[in-house]
Amino acid sequence: MDLEKLKTNEIITWCPGCLNFGILQAVKEAIAELNIAGSTAMVTGIGCHAKIYDYLNLKGFYGIHGRVLPIAFGIKLGNPDLKVIGFGGDGDTYAEGMEHFVHNCRYNTDITMMVHNNQVFSLTTGQFTPTTEKGFKDGSSPLGLAESPINPLVLAMEAGATFVARAYALEVSHLKDLMKRAINHKGFSFIDILQPCIVYHKYSVPYLNKNVYKLDNTHDASNFNKALEKAREWDYSYEKDTKVPIGLFYETKRPAFESQWPQLKRPWYNIKREVNWHNVINKFK
Amino acid sequence: MMQKTILIGGEAGLGTAVTSHLIGKIFCSLGYYVFNYRDYPSLIRGGHNFNVLRISDKPIHSHEEKYDIILALDQKTADIHEKDLNKGGFVFGVKETEPVLQKLQGPKILANDVLIGLLFKYFGVDLKVVMSAAEKEFGQKSKLIKQAIEEGYGLTDVKEKLEKVDKEKYFISGNEAIGIGSIAGNVDIHLAYPMTPASPVLHFLAKNQLENNILVFQPENEIAVINAALGASFTGAKVLVGTSGGGFALMTEAVSLAGMAELPIVIYLAQRTAPSTGVPTYTAQGDLKFALNAGHGEFARIVVAPGDPQEAIIRTQEAFYLTCKYRTPAIILGDKHLGESNYTFDELKKSQLAGVSHPVDRANSYEHSENGHTVEDAESVARGQEKRLSKMPLIEKEIQKLNPVAVYGKGNNLIVSHGSTKGAILDALPELPDFRFLQISYLSPFPREQVSDEIKKSQKVILVENSATGALADFIAEQTGLIIKNKVLKYDGRPFTPDYLIKNIVI
Repeated sequence: MDLEKLKTNEIITWCPGCLNFGILQAVKEAIAELNIAGSTAMVTGIGCHAKIYDYLNLKGFYGIHGRVLPIAFGIKLGNPDLKVIGFGGDGDTYAEGMEHFVHNCRYNTDITMMVHNNQVFSLTTGQFTPTTEKGFKDGSSPLGLAESPINPLVLAMEAGATFVARAYALEVSHLKDLMKRAINHKGFSFIDILQPCIVYHKYSVPYLNKNVYKLDNTHDASNFNKALEKAREWDYSYEKDTKVPIGLFYETKRPAFESQWPQLKRPWYNIKREVNWHNVINKFK
Repeated sequence: MMQKTILIGGEAGLGTAVTSHLIGKIFCSLGYYVFNYRDYPSLIRGGHNFNVLRISDKPIHSHEEKYDIILALDQKTADIHEKDLNKGGFVFGVKETEPVLQKLQGPKILANDVLIGLLFKYFGVDLKVVMSAAEKEFGQKSKLIKQAIEEGYGLTDVKEKLEKVDKEKYFISGNEAIGIGSIAGNVDIHLAYPMTPASPVLHFLAKNQLENNILVFQPENEIAVINAALGASFTGAKVLVGTSGGGFALMTEAVSLAGMAELPIVIYLAQRTAPSTGVPTYTAQGDLKFALNAGHGEFARIVVAPGDPQEAIIRTQEAFYLTCKYRTPAIILGDKHLGESNYTFDELKKSQLAGVSHPVDRANSYEHSENGHTVEDAESVARGQEKRLSKMPLIEKEIQKLNPVAVYGKGNNLIVSHGSTKGAILDALPELPDFRFLQISYLSPFPREQVSDEIKKSQKVILVENSATGALADFIAEQTGLIIKNKVLKYDGRPFTPDYLIKNIVI
C-alpha cells in the first residue's frame, strides 16, 4: 500500500524536530505493510500526541482527554470487525484516564493502545504527569516534584494486559515492527512509546540515546516474572544512568473480550431488527 | 365503584416488593386497575419497606396514604401504619402468619405467602388462580410456598367476593417501559453503571439481551459508560445509557462531546431526591435544570419527560428517532416514582418511530470542518456553532407532530407539571375546582406557543413539581416570559398523592 494514501492535507503543527514525527512515520508504515487502512479506526485523546488524528488518513475519533480507551472499547463493541488503535498521552492515559487503563488491561478487548510517553504535559506548557521523574520543577511544581513516577509496563502486566511493550520514538523501524505485532495480537496490546518532549523534557533525548537497548531473543516474553523483572530495570527516572530496555516484554493468550459475547458474533449491522411487539409486551400480562 | 388500598410492609428481605407485585398481577388478571408504589430505604436486610397497592375497577394512576387493608410481614409494619387505616380497615399480620410458620417449620419469608393466600380467600379468588400466578412470579414450584399459600387460604372465609370484571390488564413499571421502548426504538447496545433508580433498566435489558440481540455491559464507571457509548455510536450502533444524578454529573463532559461530534445517544436520567448521594431510593424532579443545561458549550439537545410507562415506551422510541435523525443527545428525564412504580394498562402501544443511524468516518471533539478535521479560524468556528445550533428549530418543528404537551380536563384554572406527577394529578383532577391540567412532555425543545397559550387563557395557574424550587416555573418564564407565582411543591422524597394535591391546590 502507498504511504501517500495515509497522508492528509492538514498542516502539521508539532514543533520542528518533535519525536511525534517518528511515531507518525512508524504508524503509516505499519498500517501500509499490514494493508489495514480501510478497516482501521484510530482514537486519540487530547494533547500533542492527539494531533496525529489530523495527519493520518484513517477513520478516526478525536476524543476527549483521558477517554481514549473507553471510546476505543465502544468502537470495538459497535463494530468488532474494525481494528482499533488508541493513541494517548502519558497524562491522558495515566492521570486523567488511569481507571480506564487498568480496566481495559483486564477486559482484554482486541484493541491496541499506544502511549506517546514524553513524561510531561506539553500542550499545556510543561506540567508534570504520573511518569515524570522525582525532583522535576515546572510551573505547577516549582518546589520540585516529591513523588516517584509510576511504571506503566508493570502496571499493565499486573492489570492483565496480554501484550506489553516499550518503544523509543527515534527507533522508527523497531517501533513499526512492534506496532505490527501489537495490532496483530488478539487482545489488549499496549506499547509505551518513549517520546521525549524536546521543549519541556529535552534532557531525556541524550539519556535515552545513551541507555536504550533492544530486547533480543534471550528475553522470554512468555515468562511473566522475567518480564516483570525486565520492566523494572528502568524506573523512568534520570538520577543515574540505567539501561532502558525496549521491545516486547510480555505476551500471553487470553480470550478477547468481544469473543465471549454470543451477540457480537452477529453484530447489530448484520441483522435486520424486527420487533415482535406482542412477545415483548406479553411479559407484562 | 370498587376501590381498595392495601399496604404490604416488612423488613427488607421478607419479600415485600415481590409480594405486592404478585398481588397486583393477580388483580390485573381479574381485570382490575392497579397502581403499585414502592417505598424502601437504602439497605439490604432489616429496616422497614412497604408497598402500597391501590386497586380499582376504574382506571387509576396513583396511590393514597390511607389503607383499607394492611398486610404486615412483621409487627413493626402494623405498629407504624395502623393509624392510617381507613374506617373499617384491618390488619392481617403476625397473629395470622406466626402459627402457620410454626406449623410448617419454614423460614420467615413464607409469611408473605400466608398473607397472599389469606387475602385472596377474603376476596373469594379461586386458589388455582393464586397458585399459578405465584409459580410464575417466583419462577419455581416450591412445595413450602404452596403449603403456606394454602394454609393462608384456610384462615378465613370469603368476606367480599370480587368477580373478574374485565379482560386481563398489563402491569408494567416505568423502568420496564424504558427497556421495551428501547427495544422498539432499535437499541443495539445498552451501557450503564449501577445506580438507583436507573439500574432496573440495566437488569431488564441484560436479562433480555440475547433474545433481542442487543449487547448489555456494565463498564468501570459512568465516564467509561458514556464515552464507550459514543465510540459505539461512531460505528452506527444505537446506544442507550442509564444513570441517576451523580452518574449523570460524571457523564456531562461527554454530553458536550456528543453535541460537538454529532453522535446520537439516548441518556435515561432517573432522578432521585436531593443533592449528592441524597436519598437514593426516593423520588424527586430536582434535576430538570441540570438535564436542560448539562455540558459545557452551546449545542442542541432533546429532553423529554414521560408521565407514565405507556408514555415512556413512546417517548423512548421518539428519543432514539430524534437523536439519530438530528445527531445530538437525547435525554429521557424520569424519576424513581415513574421508574419503580407499576401501572396498569388495557393495552400497550408502540410508536412507529425508531432510531436509524449510520457509521461515520470522523468524529472530532475539537471544532472541525465538514470533513472532520480540526479548525480554529474564526469563520470555521462560527460555521460549526451555527451548524449544530441550527438543529434546534428543526427539532422544534418536528416535535410539534409528537404531542409535546397534553391538556386534561376542563376548567378556567390550570395546573402545570411534567413527568411522574401526572398520575396523582389525573386522579385528583375531578375533585379540583375548575382546573385543567397541562402536562409538558418536551422540555427541550420547548413547546413555547402551546404553553404560553394555555397559561394566558387561564385564571389561576399553579405549578406542581416534586422539587424544592419549582424549576419548571423558572424555565417557563425563561421560554415564554410568563411568571407562575403559585407553586405546590413536595421535596421530602415522597411522590404526590391525590389527597395531598386536593388539600393543597386551592383557589
